[in-house]
Amino acid sequence: MITVHRRKATRRRERILLTAAVAASLLAVTACSSSSPQAGTSGTAGGSSYGFAAAPQNTSAPITVWVDASRQPAADAFVKAHPEIPIKVETYDGGANGSGSFQTKIEAFNQAGSGWPDVVFSTQNNDAAWASQGSDPFTAPLNKGYLEKSFLDGFTPGALTPTTVDGTVYGLRNDLAPTVTWYDKSLMDKFGYTVPTTWEQYEALGKKVATEHPGYIVGSVGDAWTPEVYFWGAKAPINVVTGVKQFSSNTSDPKSVAMAKIVDSLLKAGSLAQDSVFSPEFVQKYTGKVLMMPGPVWFSGAIFDNKTSLNSAPGTIAAGLPLAWDGESAVAGNVGGGTWYVSRHSTNLAAAKAFVEFVTSSDAYQVDLAPGLPAYKAAADKWLAKQAASGFFTADFAANVTTAASEVWTGWGYPKFSQEAIWAKTITPPLAAGKSLVDLLPTWQTAIKNEAQVNGYKVS
Amino acid sequence: MNATSTRRRQQLTPGAWLGRAAAIVVAVFFVVFFAVPIVWLLLAAGKSPRGLITTGAFTPGTLGDLAANWSTLVHFQDGIIFRWLENSASYSLAALVITLVTTIPAGYALALGQFRGRRLLLTTTLVVMLIPNTALVLPIFLELSAVHLIGQPLAVILPFSFYPFGVYLTYIYFSTSVPRDLLDAARIDGCGEVAVFRRVAMPLARPVIALVGFFSFVANWNNFFLPFLTVPGPRSPIQVGLTELLSNVPAFNPTAAGVTTIELPTLALAALLAVTPVLLIFLFSQRFLVAGLTAGGTKE
Amino acid sequence: MSLTQGTPLVADPVTRGRRRAGRHDRAVTARWARISYVFVSGYVVLAVAFGVLPTLYALWMSVVDSSGSFVGVQNFVDVYGDFRFLPAVLHVGAFVVIWLVALMLLVTVLALVVHSIGRRWLSTSVRFVYYIPGALAGAASVVLWLFVLNPTVSPVSAVLHAFGFETFVQTVSPGNLPVIFAIIAFWTGAGGWIVVMYGALNSIPTEVLEAARLDGAGAVRTALHVQLPMMRKWISYMAIMSLAAGTQLFVEPRVLSQATQGVVPVDYSLNQLAYLFAFQQEDLNGSAAIAVILLVVSLALSVFFVIRGGLFERD
Repeated sequence: MITVHRRKATRRRERILLTAAVAASLLAVTACSSSSPQAGTSGTAGGSSYGFAAAPQNTSAPITVWVDASRQPAADAFVKAHPEIPIKVETYDGGANGSGSFQTKIEAFNQAGSGWPDVVFSTQNNDAAWASQGSDPFTAPLNKGYLEKSFLDGFTPGALTPTTVDGTVYGLRNDLAPTVTWYDKSLMDKFGYTVPTTWEQYEALGKKVATEHPGYIVGSVGDAWTPEVYFWGAKAPINVVTGVKQFSSNTSDPKSVAMAKIVDSLLKAGSLAQDSVFSPEFVQKYTGKVLMMPGPVWFSGAIFDNKTSLNSAPGTIAAGLPLAWDGESAVAGNVGGGTWYVSRHSTNLAAAKAFVEFVTSSDAYQVDLAPGLPAYKAAADKWLAKQAASGFFTADFAANVTTAASEVWTGWGYPKFSQEAIWAKTITPPLAAGKSLVDLLPTWQTAIKNEAQVNGYKVS
Repeated sequence: MNATSTRRRQQLTPGAWLGRAAAIVVAVFFVVFFAVPIVWLLLAAGKSPRGLITTGAFTPGTLGDLAANWSTLVHFQDGIIFRWLENSASYSLAALVITLVTTIPAGYALALGQFRGRRLLLTTTLVVMLIPNTALVLPIFLELSAVHLIGQPLAVILPFSFYPFGVYLTYIYFSTSVPRDLLDAARIDGCGEVAVFRRVAMPLARPVIALVGFFSFVANWNNFFLPFLTVPGPRSPIQVGLTELLSNVPAFNPTAAGVTTIELPTLALAALLAVTPVLLIFLFSQRFLVAGLTAGGTKE
Repeated sequence: MSLTQGTPLVADPVTRGRRRAGRHDRAVTARWARISYVFVSGYVVLAVAFGVLPTLYALWMSVVDSSGSFVGVQNFVDVYGDFRFLPAVLHVGAFVVIWLVALMLLVTVLALVVHSIGRRWLSTSVRFVYYIPGALAGAASVVLWLFVLNPTVSPVSAVLHAFGFETFVQTVSPGNLPVIFAIIAFWTGAGGWIVVMYGALNSIPTEVLEAARLDGAGAVRTALHVQLPMMRKWISYMAIMSLAAGTQLFVEPRVLSQATQGVVPVDYSLNQLAYLFAFQQEDLNGSAAIAVILLVVSLALSVFFVIRGGLFERD
């Protein structure tokens, strides 16, 4: 098929190819040479004062920071405040919805033996479980001499629990994310409803509004963190870590079943949305129609006080206390509250330290820009004061949020795997297809147990 | 050919007319099916995020919006898109060079030489050629990881350079299109084997060199799985980079909402940029390619 | 057409020359054999390094544990027992079946249709349009399809709405995935095969088709009795290649998973599972076991084809 007659035509092509080939070999050479270690690193090894074997340090080496798109402003604020510290910012998905990208990427660098980022932000709070373990753990211990005790003590009590393994702190909390009961006070007043304080009242109100004012909603189950809002907040023993390698889950516990029944009955009534609160469809359908919305504190800046989302009117939205079961004390669930980790392999731990201290505690980011409740106590106080001063949220915002932060139920653990990923793949599709959550509970249980087992947990 | 078909058309029965109509419908439907996404991609890159949703799918965008999308894209992480493109180019081109240097002589020797192990090598080539390249990715990753090459550009370039299909193409070409006698004549003229290859075989092999080069380049440019595993991070090529961009699109990753960095039209522009080199090659070498594709396994 | 026809003048004296030189010939052969090794050496090194060695290494990894001691088939048993393994096999299986059927049917029909187009420029253009999506392989094509499948921005949103899909997540619900992956794979890959089939059809001598026509055979009967038998070899070649390639599904579900907030699971396909074994569970041996399973499948298919297919009978 290829004939000699075509030789002339191909000659020019070949010449192009040849030029390209030469260019390629040159490129290959430069590509290789750039991989050689940087010259001029000062080889101060050791670092036993940090509590781990640090790599040789070089205080002028740029640090690589991974953030998700929402945390880009934090990095930008740092660059503005510390132009003298060289930093390279890269964005990734932040491990959102339990995608596991943080872990798999780090694991790939472990295989490569190089290339690790210096600081990583994760939207999940269970990463310490894997990142502190293994033959080549990624995260640097923070409370063994690397960060000052006075700084670590500045965090809200309990804030660092998710990132603490056997008494060693491996990560800093960016924000606290307890669930509160968001509601639209103006709508409540207009319809003449009282704000529920128990899950039973919540269900009753959901049914009532569905018949009296169809189209209005009291919550959403369209996102992967639904279990953390509804089941964590209901004290359902679904995600119980009983030891480093011990796990248990019981979706047929009375509390699990009771919550599943509430979800089913509200879905049936039509007052529970099935769209992700971040989807354009949700904004289109429910702007001005959100009567209630149990959800994390960061909904404040992410949904309500956000022009591209629900864009609520100032003075209408309130954060109520977490809901309780009738006759019991209330507990809060928790949805993320991002975490910052420092790499053990970092060659500029001083810069990494400056960075994590800045992004977790500085007013320039945590008070002025952050969309959620800062985990660092001093910043949290200022942030709450700022919210109060702006008057965007009505009722007792600061007090309720602070209470919720102290009520996060401790029966929900932080295993290596993500409950969000399990929910997204196992429950979201059949729920959207109209199946009942109560009927799905055994499926959910199996999926959780399977996931726990492959992650090395003994399931009881 | 044309004259006869015109004549015959007049004698078509109603049934044949129906068949012809059905054939046209099928052909047109699939033209639409194959072309629409590409046409749409070309247009979408020039729209604003709002325009993408509000205007008709085939309304052209504006140059202003295209410029805005371009600016967002090239400012994303300080122009990392160029880094990705450069990585893709350097990996694919370096692999191309090594592929040609190893493949052409090998195909030549397999076709015209007689040496022990020739059949074995030929059969191995055929078998490996038919294995999809993704099947070897994990084993190659494990191997490279054992020799600590992961993360180095060589970890992509070397596996890319192994191209049995190229050897097969060259082999077919030399055994069908280059007469042994021609080479023997050169030998009698006193040329050494290397000189025979260089002065006689190579000039004759130009078409197949171009063909192997094209296939190798396109395959490597589009490869995702291997570089995804072996060169993580900033050394990623554009295909892997695209999926990184994706995680910054609020429509696909809700937690990126609030601070929007990459909107859908910008992603479309990036996808367009990622395929442009290959698309251009396709456009400008269409005729020759089609001939090559068919030559891939035909024996005459 | 081959090169021989283009160079008749050179060929003749050479043949004579060759006949004359008996002893010289043997010396040349020996020299040839030696130099042949040099010519194939580069390729052989690469083939060993990136074909043979990785295969052997993966095989070895799949029968030892992380400390390197022999465990027999334990890794395979573990992988098989993993709750994600069978679903992944089923996912991949469903996709491959749908894709293969669509590919064999549509590619054959389209090749026949394109071949029946009388006007040369039209036929060439249509083939080109079919072929051009091949330029968009890999992640780029999936990214493009994310748009096409998203009712809010899709150029074919009317079609999606007609199927009752109002949101992106509805479109890519688990039940639809095998079909969606098949459509994407067909879109990028079918054109190349249509061109190949077209070439095969072209190799049927015009006289044969003419004879069929004179016998009163219509287009359909000609296709069934004359053209199809000639294409059979190519169709089976396509089927085997596609079957092997289909089992390797990776980038499509990965990108979709990323774009659907995990509704498309990260462990949808076998290669994704192997990836998770390696990078989430630090179980390189389990990962190697999956790789070996996939490799054996495609190796078996390709050996079967090389031996039985008849496409490579030259040597």
